[in-house]
Amino acid sequence: MSPLLASSVDLEPVEQVRSLLVDRIEKGELRLPLLPQVAHQVMTLTNDPDSDVTRLASLIQQDQALAGQILSVANSPAYMPRSPIVSLQQAVAWLGMKHLADMALMVSIQSGVFRVQGFEAEVKALWRHALATGLFGKEIARLGRHNVENAFLCGLLHAVGKPVILHNVIEIQKLQDLHLPWNSIRDFMEEFHVSVGNLLTENWKLPDQVKEAITYYKDHTYKHAPSPTKVALITCLADHLASYLLEPTLMDEETLLALPVIQDMNLYSEDVSSLLEQGEPILKTLDSMPL
Amino acid sequence: MSETLHYDILIIGSGPAGQKAAIQGAKAGKRVAVIERDLEVGGACVHHGTIPSKTLRESALNMLRLKRTAGVFDFKLRDDLKVKSLTQRLDHVVKAHSRFIADQIHRNGVTRYHGRGRFLSDREVQVSMTNRTIQRLTADIIVVATGSRPRKPDNIPVDHEHILDSDSILSLTYLPKSLTVLGGGVIASEYASFFSLLGVQVTMIDQADRPVRFMDAELTDGFVQAFEADGGTYHGNQTIAEAKWDGLSKVVTVLGNGEVIEGEKMLMALGRVANIEDLHLEAAGVKPTPRGLIPVDQHCRTSVPHIYAVGDVIGPPSLASCSMEQGRRAVCHALGIDPGGSPETVPMGIYTVPEMSSVGISEEEAVTRFGGAIVGRSRFNEIARGQISGMTDGLLKMVADPCGKKLLGVHIVGEGATELVHIGQMGLLAQMEIDSFVENIFNFPTLGEAYRVAALDIVKQRKP
Ligand SMILES: Cc1cc2nc3c(=O)[nH]c(=O)nc-3n(C[C@H](O)[C@H](O)[C@H](O)COP(=O)(O)OP(=O)(O)OC[C@H]3O[C@@H](n4cnc5c(N)ncnc54)[C@H](O)[C@@H]3O)c2cc1C
Repeated sequence: MSPLLASSVDLEPVEQVRSLLVDRIEKGELRLPLLPQVAHQVMTLTNDPDSDVTRLASLIQQDQALAGQILSVANSPAYMPRSPIVSLQQAVAWLGMKHLADMALMVSIQSGVFRVQGFEAEVKALWRHALATGLFGKEIARLGRHNVENAFLCGLLHAVGKPVILHNVIEIQKLQDLHLPWNSIRDFMEEFHVSVGNLLTENWKLPDQVKEAITYYKDHTYKHAPSPTKVALITCLADHLASYLLEPTLMDEETLLALPVIQDMNLYSEDVSSLLEQGEPILKTLDSMPL
Repeated sequence: MSETLHYDILIIGSGPAGQKAAIQGAKAGKRVAVIERDLEVGGACVHHGTIPSKTLRESALNMLRLKRTAGVFDFKLRDDLKVKSLTQRLDHVVKAHSRFIADQIHRNGVTRYHGRGRFLSDREVQVSMTNRTIQRLTADIIVVATGSRPRKPDNIPVDHEHILDSDSILSLTYLPKSLTVLGGGVIASEYASFFSLLGVQVTMIDQADRPVRFMDAELTDGFVQAFEADGGTYHGNQTIAEAKWDGLSKVVTVLGNGEVIEGEKMLMALGRVANIEDLHLEAAGVKPTPRGLIPVDQHCRTSVPHIYAVGDVIGPPSLASCSMEQGRRAVCHALGIDPGGSPETVPMGIYTVPEMSSVGISEEEAVTRFGGAIVGRSRFNEIARGQISGMTDGLLKMVADPCGKKLLGVHIVGEGATELVHIGQMGLLAQMEIDSFVENIFNFPTLGEAYRVAALDIVKQRKP
């Protein structure tokens, strides 16, 4: 049975929203506006010549919507990088903060503002989960001496399709004067986020490894990831660790430790403990986000 | 926990040292088991050391050739294509090599345990697996071959993001514009030259006045010249006061003399440490040295007679070639098998661009031991093959006794040095006279001819 049929609401509005959503996806109408708080911070930081550039740099690196779109602009013909920009750190180092500030401003003006409307908690959870996955990705990569920048970016953007879907559903609901329960919206996000994420990586010309992480990060797919980078495997585990940290009621430690991805990453119990110890500093970083 | 199993020989670690120890044991008809904590066998050699670094080197050289061709055919190689082809080839070679070793171990009937080995006593080892199960094993002979890993100095925050080590550098997804390399040893010099070749602005910093100090100074001078001609910089006689990421875009290194060097990324290559902490050596009664190595005698036997240690875990020369031989010899000794004559002449190969290689003794050592030496030199620009192949910046040095008769050592810098040195090695083993290199005919045109030219140079210097 499909998750949609399992939900308890009247089928009609769900199907109505679904078909409008599919229509938008097929037409490639996949905008991801910035959260109002983030757009506001971008304005403040870029307008103040005395502001600390590292604050803008970390905002760009921690916000999935801003990060994805900055990468897209950085790789556009306007900037013509010597070779593709594949990480946010590389963007900072190669293009400099002056250009990055201009890009951030442009993105915040052009992408519009995410109208959260009653979904504040859910939106916050999506953003926190994305950053937590990126940060756990970093730690997993560090432990295995893999590419840390890669792992972070893949974690941050692995479910970038979800907020796009949420944004579209909120818009559709408003236009159609419909109100779906959260369960149905969550089901849409689960169902479509990989394909939407893939379309976004095409539209935004995101690095190949991000596409690979989006496509293959699930438990049953990471083994099919084609490249030798391990990004899908790392993102899969990072996603679980982020869920464990942010929604501890969903999974106990025993279940976490028994996940096949732990064996496939060759992690011993001490390794997993050291990763779990990173939970606290990661929570601190999440709390410092402008959400 | 399952029941304790017994083996004749138990080996901890499946790098070159462990692998050859295992094969030797199996060939002697013994029941052998290898414990390896990684998913794949092969050790640092296959996954982070020799094989990947040499594959990277080969790819960098191929790109250099392509770059040269690009001038003729008017095309430009994009940086992202460089990185992509580098990493894909790397993965392919590493996987193939690891599979080959796994097959070899399997074919020889060696049992493999996937887990971390830890001594419970001098005869018993516990294997802890990732699924948290435990297997206990006992053995009559135990060989420790747990290798080494990059050293992490306390004052430099290696985060594998901005400051990398020789393991994490292998997974870069883009070529940084600039790279600071801390260290002047083999690994530092090799990576510095590869990245320089790939167009990265490389700065090497080390305490020593020249890199790879144990090699002949004329060789390392040749390397530094080539490296600097390619755009690299070597800062010798330097100490590091501080090295850290600036929080934005670069790694800042402050030298002891106050000079500041900036690089987009940093490679930390200040030596390696032996992997002994998981072993719980005290339970076996083996005491490591103050430098954290396992002390052994000439047969690689520890203070506990039935426990041997081989490879990087016992310290220098820390080469895959020597580790393999130590593994084989240790098991031969334990089983009372004659291992054959001991290798007196082990060549050293440094895969910088250009390569450096040595066998036998140096000029200084010859002077100390024989009261003098005659050195013959041959520059590759004097050799037809050197001119034809564009390899004109090489040098081959032959060291002979004070009479100029006996060959004592060969030292080469230049492309192909690590292959070319084997002629010298065979000459030393066969105790060949310098005249043999003059009297015999080499293929023409080849770099081998450099031996003849250097030998002639010695003959010219003989006192009547
Ligand atoms: C960048 C680089 C380039 C190099 N280039 C060359 C070269 O060109 N030529 C050359 O001859 N040498 C080279 N070397 C050196 C060479 O790789 C090493 O000397 C060689 O790998 C040492 O072999 P080993 O078997 O002692 O250890 P390793 O290869 O390190 O293998 C040890 C194995 O033991 C396992 N292990 C550790 N602890 C435990 C435990 N408690 N339980 C179970 N398993 C354990 C490890 O996982 C590992 O697989 C290079 C090294 C590096 C890093």
